[in-house]
Amino acid sequence: MSGTRTETGGLIDRTKTLRFRFDGRGYAGHPGDTLASALLANGVRVLGRSFKYHRPRGVWGGWFDDPNAILDVGLDGNAIPNCQATTTPLLDGMESRAVNAWPSAARDVKGGLDLLHRWLGAGFYYKTFIWPDWHLFEPTIRRMAGLGAVDGKTIPDYVADQIHDSCDLLVVGGGAAGLAAARAAAEAGQDVVLVEDHADLGGGLYRRGGEVEGRSPADWLAEQRAAIETAGGCILSSTTAFGVYDHGLVGLATDRGFARAPRLTRMRARRTLMATGALDRPLTFADNDRPGVMSLQAAAEYLGRYGVLVGRRIVVLSNNSAGQSAVAALRAAGAEVVEADPADGPIRALGGARLNGVQVGDRQLACDSLLVSGGLTPVVHLWRHAGGKLDWSETANAFLPGAAPEGMAAIGAANGTFNLQAALEEARAVALGKPPAPSASSYTIRPLWPEPGAKGRQWIDFQHDVTLKDIELAARENYVSVEHLKRYTTLGMAADQGKTSNMAGLAAMAAIQGRPIPEVGTTTFRPPFVPVPLELYHGARRGQLLNPLKRLALEPQHRQAGAALGEYGGWLRPGWYGGKPARDAIRDEVQMARSSAGIFDGSPLGKIEVMGPDAAAFVDFVYYNTVATLKPGHIRYGFMLTESGAVYDDGVIARLGSEHFVISCSSSHVDGVETMLESWRQDGNDPDRIFVHDATQHWATLAVTGPKAREILGALVLDLNLSRDVFPHMSFRETIFAGTPLRIARVSFTGDVSFELSLRTAKAADLWAALTMAGAEHGAGPIGIEALSVLRAEKGFIIIGKDTDGETMPHDLGFGGPRQKKKTAFVGDRGLHSEAANAPDRRQLVGLSVPEGSPALPTGAHLVTGDKPRSEGIVTSSYISPTLDRPIALALLARGAARHGEVLRVWHMGQVRAATVTPPCALDPKGARLDA
Amino acid sequence: MRDDGRKWDAPPEYSQPLTGAGVRAARVWPQRQVLISAPDVLARIEAAGWPGVVRGDSYALSLRRDRVLEVDGPPRDEGWDGRQAVTEVTDAYAVIQIEGPQALALCRRGTELSLSHPSRSVARQMFGLPVFLYRWQTEDRFRLHTPRGYGQALWQTLAAHMRQMRP
Repeated sequence: MSGTRTETGGLIDRTKTLRFRFDGRGYAGHPGDTLASALLANGVRVLGRSFKYHRPRGVWGGWFDDPNAILDVGLDGNAIPNCQATTTPLLDGMESRAVNAWPSAARDVKGGLDLLHRWLGAGFYYKTFIWPDWHLFEPTIRRMAGLGAVDGKTIPDYVADQIHDSCDLLVVGGGAAGLAAARAAAEAGQDVVLVEDHADLGGGLYRRGGEVEGRSPADWLAEQRAAIETAGGCILSSTTAFGVYDHGLVGLATDRGFARAPRLTRMRARRTLMATGALDRPLTFADNDRPGVMSLQAAAEYLGRYGVLVGRRIVVLSNNSAGQSAVAALRAAGAEVVEADPADGPIRALGGARLNGVQVGDRQLACDSLLVSGGLTPVVHLWRHAGGKLDWSETANAFLPGAAPEGMAAIGAANGTFNLQAALEEARAVALGKPPAPSASSYTIRPLWPEPGAKGRQWIDFQHDVTLKDIELAARENYVSVEHLKRYTTLGMAADQGKTSNMAGLAAMAAIQGRPIPEVGTTTFRPPFVPVPLELYHGARRGQLLNPLKRLALEPQHRQAGAALGEYGGWLRPGWYGGKPARDAIRDEVQMARSSAGIFDGSPLGKIEVMGPDAAAFVDFVYYNTVATLKPGHIRYGFMLTESGAVYDDGVIARLGSEHFVISCSSSHVDGVETMLESWRQDGNDPDRIFVHDATQHWATLAVTGPKAREILGALVLDLNLSRDVFPHMSFRETIFAGTPLRIARVSFTGDVSFELSLRTAKAADLWAALTMAGAEHGAGPIGIEALSVLRAEKGFIIIGKDTDGETMPHDLGFGGPRQKKKTAFVGDRGLHSEAANAPDRRQLVGLSVPEGSPALPTGAHLVTGDKPRSEGIVTSSYISPTLDRPIALALLARGAARHGEVLRVWHMGQVRAATVTPPCALDPKGARLDA
Repeated sequence: MRDDGRKWDAPPEYSQPLTGAGVRAARVWPQRQVLISAPDVLARIEAAGWPGVVRGDSYALSLRRDRVLEVDGPPRDEGWDGRQAVTEVTDAYAVIQIEGPQALALCRRGTELSLSHPSRSVARQMFGLPVFLYRWQTEDRFRLHTPRGYGQALWQTLAAHMRQMRP
């Protein structure tokens, strides 16, 4: 092919010149060009190499249908791999390079691979690289395979914009049919959005030439645009509808320029009109992949849209009537065009990388370009995404939209209506919900499909080097289903997803098997319709915003105190303080808490209020423990169970009044517990007599725990008697701190005297400052979650989900009373009396001790017995106890409660250690510290 | 057990509003937010849904058929008063006000939102976060209440989307 720029015509701006480079050489183009059109205008014919054989390839298509010209493109230090040259707008200074070729597409050193084609047919690697081990070959094959190269740099601010939108009518395609439909609907008062993937409206009008309804295409287009916008319609150009999803959702990707991430619009359309046009498909003949063999439709597109005449001496091979206007336009532009009948005999492209002719039967025709039209294939991808059916049309020799998916209709060439006037009438009728008037089609076609057994190498899939022989091989090996054929040969799996190859491939399979084409069927159409960057789906939801954590009101204070912050149950919380190594900091905090006091930010602890006349009966029902007898001002520890009886959450419940409770569930379980409460409230209870309010985040909760806790609270000068007799363990008081209501709960997760102080979050900083100041006088200070975890483990207190699993029941934890005695119904009751619940080998909570001098046991290690080691349990928590100065551990062990004193083997990663089963509580088992 | 503090931005200063092309977002601090639940609460308290414009400094938002969020209403006793359940949640929700000609466009980046699709409730998911969304005082001024712990995430999300709202 020897392309040239025409003097006039097209949408390019000839007054401005854009400089760019391709494979190391400089070229010039104009605004309005794509990389492909500019290269064609410069006479460049080899733009790429095929995937497997490294065959030289030129441009086949004019837009998204081109499988050949894939380039790595750079501009201003930013690089994008695998750009389709036919859809990449040209910009000044672009540096482009063909993928899969070195040093250039024209002179690729791997071009010699083509000589080995006889041994590289479909599935060759399945058969060749089996022995001795595929993994020996895999690294080399992976290095050789692939297309563009990622340069490893990130593009600054490459973030997709994402927006949701809705409309009455979405028209996909800004060609004549789409515009006519959009205008008719908009003028009828519909909220219309029209999307067009080119920067300019017009679709196929540029390649068609001639007048539209008596006007020049430019005038007609301007009139439609003005009318649509005047009627309130919205036109989105450079926007591709890449997928249709549930309930009328259409994904739209809008190009925002090179090295700038596209915009994603999630468009919810009541109705979608598919006006996506039709593609010219290739003919299958010997050496049909030569550079210079091009789609007739594409040649007309380059001439009409970009002012590029792709060749001077042209042979046209067409089996249909659609290309007549293109032939006339090419002749008018100065090309010498010879039309040959592809039915005249075997066809072979002549010449090497430079096409110099074509053999058609006995006739040999010299040419520099061979323009091919195998028939129009409607672009029905979106139709199939939405679940629409396809019907085979014998007259159009193509799959056309059949039974429509809900809320969708097809118009124009996408619906097989190839005649312009008929398409306009159809579009206007369908836009208004009317049936289109029947019209006779002027489109004619003579079927011409691949012929099995034909001589020569005949390409079906240009990018992936799938030939007719590969289809025949697949059929011989019984990969006859099109889905198997696709996967065995990689047909249609290239970047173009079979837009040019699928019809030829399935027609070839049909011919091989002697079956009709519709019986063979198509492969599955899946989004995205064209390649889109993964960034499109990503958008601003990245980094911290990918899965944001909840943040504490006191985070600034924690950071100032040198807190190490980590995720604990969906919150960013202090693990430890002071900027020291974790181990040292945690040890020091535990020792401080045991000797003086620790101040702990427990704000995420649940504060779920249950109110109403039936509140008492309700909490009694949702708790395993009896709560109805709880008196106002008191607190009770208890479990919530799943219906199967497994422990779901543990925590305390406080009764503020006869019809007012506060549930303090685990920090990470607040949302789950609230949902559980809501579902039980509405199921089996009277929802008008019970109300559940989650007030967790209104309250900040600071716990002071340790032997000096009472003295530290005393420094706050509260109007409250803190003595153990007046304010005993498991009781609750309300008072005022600095003019703000303060709730104090005497509960302990450490085994020491503890007070949990809750006040509105806005005042948390005041309380934190007062407590830390008062604490400092007693040698007390902040402690993080890690120290708290050690403190509670010393006491044998569990953390749900860590020391329990999905099968642990309360009687496994030593809380068997309510199971036997509770008279009223409660959630999980039946599950606690099942066969599994009564099994003799249930895993029960125990402690473990290790011989003196031994290190801590690994968490997760198995507890094993017998000659053939069998796991009877696992270590759930394990620490070095700073208080006891020895390792401690908690475990779930089969029949554990009855095995205290037994020595077990502890297996972990092939190593075996010894441990003795103990009660869970390792510190102060009588609770003397708790009530000190 | 590791220190991930550096991976998370320190809490921002909310004194400076976020500004973008045709849109501005700022934290606002209601004096009082109160949850009120009762079977007949919507019959007794006029509560806004979507897309109505809330007028007045004291107002209620419809959350569901038996619950409203009263904003800057009178002080109320908490608990069950024989007719309704009342809980103060003033600090439980961070409130961000978005205004300007592009305010709706910014909100649409977080959820499917249309002025022609009404809702009795102001509760919805936006940007993956639970929010109460309504229009306040004027047609191009929106308020978002989100659980306080997510306030920073919502703030950063709005800032990130504003950066993308270039033409």
